[in-house]
Amino acid sequence: MTNLLTARKLAARIALAFVVLVVVMFVCSLIGAESISLKAVFGRAGSQQTVNTDYEIFVHVRVPRIILACLVGAALACSGVVFQALLRNPLADPYILGISSGAGLGAIIAVISGFTWTLWGRSPIAVFAFAGALGTVWLVWFIGRFTGRSHVTGLLLAGVVVNAFFSSVIMFLTSIAKSDRVFSTIFWLMGNMTEEDFFVLWVGAGCVVAGVLALFYISPQLNAISFSEDDARTMGVNTARTQMLAFAIAAAITAVAVSLSGLIGFVGLVIPHAVRLVFGPDHRQLLPLSAIIGGAFLVAADTIARIIVAPAQLPVGVITAIVGGPFFLVLLVKYTHKVGWLGK
Amino acid sequence: MSIIKVSSLSFRYSDVEVLRDLSFEVQAQSFLTIAGPNGAGKSTLLNLLCRTLRPKSGSVSIDSIAIDSYSTKALARKVAVVRQEFIPVFGFTVVETVSMARTPYLDAFGFETNADRKIVADALEMTDTAQFASRALAELSAGERQRVFIARALAQDTAILLLDEPTSFLDLKHQVGIYDLLKRLQLEKAKTIVAVTHDINLAAQYCDEALLIGADNSYHIGKARDVFSPQQIEKVFSVRAFAGRVGQEKFFLPLGKFAKDTGIITTDSNSSRQK
Repeated sequence: MTNLLTARKLAARIALAFVVLVVVMFVCSLIGAESISLKAVFGRAGSQQTVNTDYEIFVHVRVPRIILACLVGAALACSGVVFQALLRNPLADPYILGISSGAGLGAIIAVISGFTWTLWGRSPIAVFAFAGALGTVWLVWFIGRFTGRSHVTGLLLAGVVVNAFFSSVIMFLTSIAKSDRVFSTIFWLMGNMTEEDFFVLWVGAGCVVAGVLALFYISPQLNAISFSEDDARTMGVNTARTQMLAFAIAAAITAVAVSLSGLIGFVGLVIPHAVRLVFGPDHRQLLPLSAIIGGAFLVAADTIARIIVAPAQLPVGVITAIVGGPFFLVLLVKYTHKVGWLGK
Repeated sequence: MSIIKVSSLSFRYSDVEVLRDLSFEVQAQSFLTIAGPNGAGKSTLLNLLCRTLRPKSGSVSIDSIAIDSYSTKALARKVAVVRQEFIPVFGFTVVETVSMARTPYLDAFGFETNADRKIVADALEMTDTAQFASRALAELSAGERQRVFIARALAQDTAILLLDEPTSFLDLKHQVGIYDLLKRLQLEKAKTIVAVTHDINLAAQYCDEALLIGADNSYHIGKARDVFSPQQIEKVFSVRAFAGRVGQEKFFLPLGKFAKDTGIITTDSNSSRQK
């Protein structure tokens, strides 16, 4: 009985993970193409005469970008946990039900149509991607509901087919569009961090934090659903409501993440597995720890993307798997004998 | 006192009728076995009793209250279900699995209290699964896993326990073990037990009442010794059966086309004992 999760144990682990996150964010904020020192950042903050370059870079470039990476990483990792639980499928990730292709299609339509307006400081690409992501998920969910009682397979199939269909449409549009416009979309599709202003960050942070908290609130029910839907129902879980709620929240935070930074792969698939391998499959723990560790991971990956070919920058989506893959494989080998979900 | 009351229950899957006008009652703290050929609607009936399915017509009431007026949580505090054991996708340990049964009792904060832990520990103890509490379900044998699923139903702390073929994939020893456990739960924990099974010989040793459902929607309910009669078994399962007796226990042996020396069967088991 010693290994059962308690509130105190969870609080301690969350606090520890949070410390790791803060340390990672702090260290990464000091690393970059321009070397800056904290002393310089805050030492001359009061003097107005000269422009404090270190301060400008730190506050207006590094910090917003690090916060953004943290938000996106947390949203994707959490959403991955939820999709894996709802579909009872270890290969599920936030994009499995068509969010990626929906967002991509939205983005390319925005680029081709040549809109130039902005909505709350967001470019048409972001707005269209957000709408495309949510619209596609709603479509897939809607189709999946018609496939009957065991609708997990129906949902997955609908997701795969919608993904394939929209991907073809994207390729079609890319082939007929003018090439210079298309380039920005392709870069966007690879997943990319940019420096956002604080208003956008606050709104995004609000959405993601609210989503993660709401998901944590229904995590006991997610435990039962990830075990078996029928069992969950007879154990007192209102499965239809919980699934709907979890699905909507996960889709929403993914759409927010995608509209902020494009399609960043790997985080949503592998962070949940890494946390599950080390700490077990209890969602009360899996959700908050995945959020924090997902955030820390993407901050680190984005920092590498910033500096590895400096002064140029790589899309962070290129880096995530290169950095995270080997690390995950080490975890896999180390823990598989302890936690038997892949063993047999 | 009857704890489950089924009145003129009918159910159909789109175009196949599986249950027609079924009525019976289950006494509190009794052990009912449901038997019948494949497709007769045994599992369907079980799913109707726990509201996983809703009837076409007719009604089920639990504790004299219509099953439809229970909330999901309230029903989960009355009825626990043990389905056939399986390995879940994610690596839940035994104790995590059994603790899940406390979901309908958790407060908004979502953590087990000490009382919950005590109930879980007792369920593990009762089913003899405490020894591998921290192992993952995938690392257990099928028989051990089935005991864990029963422990989970036990930890749900309900008056009624429904089981869907709890011994299908188990060897003889584990089959007997599961039924011994169920009988103990009935006698020591005052559970009402309803078990769907194909193993009428074993079930007949343990149950008080039996419900035999035929593929033609006919049904027989009553004391196990009356329901499991050779004529009824042969008719409902449409198979030739040898009926024998060991002490007070009746048993049936199905005879196939290629059974050897079927002409000289004695209807008594003394011959085997005389050796």
